[in-house]
Order: sequence, then C-alpha cells, then structure tokens
Amino acid sequence: MTMHLGRVLRNTTLILLSLLWAIPSWLLLVNALVPGKEYTGTPHWLPDSFGIFDNFAKAWTAADLGPAMGNSLLYAVVGSLVAVVIATGAAFAVVIMPVRRRVLWFWLIYSGTLLPLQVFLRPLFLSYASFDLYDTQIGMLLVYATISIPFSFFLMRNYATTVPREVVEAARMDGASWWRLFWQIHVPLSKSAMVAAFSFQFVAIWNDLLFGITFSTSDNIRPVIAALSELQGNYSDVGPPVVLAGAILVSLPTLLLFFLAQRFFVSNLKLTS
Amino acid sequence: MRTSTEPPAAARQRQSPEPPHLKPRPVAPRAASRDRLAAGAFLTPAVVLVSVVLLAPFGSTIYRSFFDDHRHSTFTGLDNYRLFFTDDALLRSAENTLLWVAGTVVLPFALGMLIACLTDATRWSRLARLCVIIPYALSGAAVAVVWNFVLSSDGALNQALSAVGLGSLSHSWLLDWPGNTLVIICVNAWQATGVAVILILVGLQSVPPETLEAASLDGAGPWQRFRFVVLPQLRPVSIIVIGMSLANGLKSFDLLWVLTRGGPGRATETLAVSMYEETFLLQRPGAGSAIAVVLTVIVLAASWLYLRRQFGEKGA
Repeated sequence: MTMHLGRVLRNTTLILLSLLWAIPSWLLLVNALVPGKEYTGTPHWLPDSFGIFDNFAKAWTAADLGPAMGNSLLYAVVGSLVAVVIATGAAFAVVIMPVRRRVLWFWLIYSGTLLPLQVFLRPLFLSYASFDLYDTQIGMLLVYATISIPFSFFLMRNYATTVPREVVEAARMDGASWWRLFWQIHVPLSKSAMVAAFSFQFVAIWNDLLFGITFSTSDNIRPVIAALSELQGNYSDVGPPVVLAGAILVSLPTLLLFFLAQRFFVSNLKLTS
Repeated sequence: MRTSTEPPAAARQRQSPEPPHLKPRPVAPRAASRDRLAAGAFLTPAVVLVSVVLLAPFGSTIYRSFFDDHRHSTFTGLDNYRLFFTDDALLRSAENTLLWVAGTVVLPFALGMLIACLTDATRWSRLARLCVIIPYALSGAAVAVVWNFVLSSDGALNQALSAVGLGSLSHSWLLDWPGNTLVIICVNAWQATGVAVILILVGLQSVPPETLEAASLDGAGPWQRFRFVVLPQLRPVSIIVIGMSLANGLKSFDLLWVLTRGGPGRATETLAVSMYEETFLLQRPGAGSAIAVVLTVIVLAASWLYLRRQFGEKGA
C-alpha cells in the first residue's frame, strides 16, 4: 500500500514538473502559430489557426533577419572552426610535444574562459574604434574566434592526454615532422573531440548578445541575437506572435545542432561502454 | 553531454614523476631546439590571440578602475569601488547579484537532482526529460522573449490565474522589487536545469546497482538509499553542477537585458548588467571597470569551487 502511495506521489510530482517546463514552450509554439492580425491581446492556449509562415516572414522583414542570420552563420562556423584548429594545435604542443613551462602555457590560454566577458568590453571597444575594426565582420570574427579558443583548448587538451603516446613516438621514430604528425595523425585521431568542441562553440557564438551589441551596430554586420533583441524591443508594434515566431526562427539552428549532437553523444556513449 | 566535466586525466599526467618526453632521449641538441621551435609555432596563435584580445584588455580594465570619470581622468585609488557602498543603483545591483548567487546555487541543482532521480527509471521519463532539456538549447534572448510573453501584465500567467479563480494573485510580475528579481531567477532556473539534469543522469549511471541492492537488503528505505548511498557517490558531479550554474548565472547578461534591460529603473540589474549600463549608457567607464573587476573576483571564486575539484584530485 505504501509502495503504491509512493508511486502516485512520484508520478504526480513528475507530471507537475514536466508541465511547469512544457507550458512555456507550448505557449511559444501555439502563439507563434496565431496569425498576427487575429491576435487580440490575450494569449492562446490551443492551436486554432496556422499563420506561422506569415509570422516568420514578418519577423524576417521587421528585424532584417536575413543578413543577421547570414552573419551569425559566418561568425559561428568560421569563428569556431578557426578556434578549434588553433586550440587543437596548442593542445598538441602542450601535451604531446616537448615544451617547457607547460603549466604556464596551459593557464595562460585557459584563463580566458574563466573571466566574465564584461572585463574585455571597453578596452576592446576603444581599440576596435581606433583600428577601424568596429562594426566590421573581421572584427566580429576576431573577437568570436578568440573567445572560443580557451574552452576549446581545455577540451582538446583533455582529449589529447587520452591519445596513446606510442602512436606519436612511433611516427617520430620514422622521421615524420611535427607538422605532418599533427595533420595526418593527431587531427584524424581527435576528430570526435573536435566536433564536440566545434558544436559547443557554434552554439555559444550563435547565442551571444553582449559582443553583438557592443562591437556592431549596422544591420548587415550585427549577429542574429542582437536582431532578436531589437525585435523584442518593438514588441507592442509588431505584436507577440511575430516576436515569438522570430524567437523560434532564431533558435532553430541551435536546437537542430543540439539534438543532432545529443544523438551523436549517446551513440558514442554506447560504443565506449 | 559536456566533455568539460570529465576529470582531466592530464592533471594527473602532468604531475606524474616522469612523463615520457622528459626521459633523456638520445637526440642531438640541435634536434631538441628544433622541437622547441616547432612547439612554439603550434602555441603561438593561441597564446598571441588570447593575450592580445583577452588578457591585455583585462589588465587595462583593472588599471582603468583606479581612475575617475571626470573629463580629465585622474587617479583616485579605490573611489570607484567605494561606489558599491554609496551608489543606490549599485547597492541594489550587488543585492540582486547575491540573490542570484543563492538562487543559482539552490534551484538548478535541487530541481535537476529531483528530476534526474524521478526520471531515472520511469517508463515515459524520456518525454519529461525532453521538456526540461529543450529550454537549455534556447538562447538567453529567446528565453527572455518566451517569459516576457508569460509574465507581462496581459500575459499568459495572469490570464491562467484569473481563469482558475485566482485573479487576485495576478499582478505585474516584473514591476516590484524583490519579486521581479526572484521571478527572473526562476526563469534562469527554467533554462539552466536542463544541463544539471543531463550531468546528474550521467553521474547516476556510475552508481553501481549492487550498492543499492545491498542497502535494500539491509532494510534501507528509498529516502535512506538516496541520502546515504546515491548522494555521496554524486558528490563530484554535484560540485561541478553547482559551480557551473553559479558561474553561468553570474555572467548571465542576455536574459536580463532582453527581459527588463535591468529595469524598471535599475531594479533588476545584476553586476553583469550594471557594468554595461555604467560603461556604455551612462558613460562612466571608471565605475564600469570597477564593477567588472568585482564581478571577476566573484566569478573566479565561484569557479574555484569546481576547478579545485578538477585540477586538485591528486591533492585530495
């Protein structure tokens, strides 16, 4: 009898908690479906009409999402790619190559991920202004790639320590240069960790707002979250369904990547156990 | 999910008495120095970029925090830091940050633990887990958009309250302090619990079922099994979850910025937002720099919680 009561209690708690989490997501979806004109100021709880593509289109033009999406894609793909390659190289040097003061190098690079972004903002802003990097794609790429290096380095260093040392030693014996060793042996061996680091940094760059609003201002430079933030600022003008549809549109790439990476992760887990 | 949580084997390796590459190898001195040159080439891009784009600005911010905000800025020692005791907006910001610290230590961890344990062995648990994890995949700005829709005065929450006859409870959730800050901390927990659930579930998989069976045979009830068998074995992952959500909560900017811009007035600002407000909107870079430095100290202290764990294993 007490077992039975326990199970009821447990399931009730679980249902309540799931609802607590699901309802806001549900409302987001349902109200993004409501055609802008039919929205009368009160939230809908059930889907009764289908105007989401119309809302997507409105959000797209109202916040100029086209160039913003393209920019964020550029920053997130190129920025994290550059960062992961550089970080993998540095991890290779610190773990596998004979360097002195490896602890110093580790902390020098890794420290960047511990500091809050706020400490970089103003000096960078001033230098960007004087070097003509403010509000340029190169400037955005530079700051996004650099901010992604420390954590990627941390991941890649952890991974590099699990790579069997014999492989490298053997290749060195055969007279392979470090450069060849890195590209032809270390990088292929580290591919899965590099993919993990890449997806992690892709999401981080895509979701960034602070750098976006500090280092860019024009519609054809700023990243997509800055555009979404502006769209939310026009909440009363464009109406809730359009803003919610904009939030969905902006989140689609990271949601997709998240679930793809999750499957990738689970299959990896199965393989190793 | 996060590779970051794996204890770095390197910490141990680094300390091992004789790493293979330090073994005296029969190489010519010239080859050794060429090796070092090659290592330099691999390290340089990362070291230069991090030093120039991140560490130099960090140093510059610390330096700037000792100068005042008059037209011809002069050295003022700790005056900017004194603002934390005299400036009302900063006092409120510091209070809010303390609330955030408390809220991000307790909520994501406790809820994550509860949900992970409840869904560990139920049939339809995958659906429940999915509900909790989806918000984690959203950006802070998108979360703010969703919750603005729920919390605004003609929003979904007030509508739901009056529909079930609790209309008297409905009010402007984001208007009055400290209620607004507490509500936003809950919104942050709504987003941050997902990763806690994932990490704790991974931790639960490492609890050997034999220990639970043994405890059952000894007559331990479910609560006792949790308290004395499961919880101690989850200690490492708990520290990581708490440290991570604390550091992330302290750095969180986009949720607050999109949801309230730190307002009404400056009532919901935390230090992460105040820094931006003071530096770029109020044109008080000295005050902004001091806030950034204080925030750094707090974030580093919070990070120390789990870094000590990750790097200090051989010491324990």
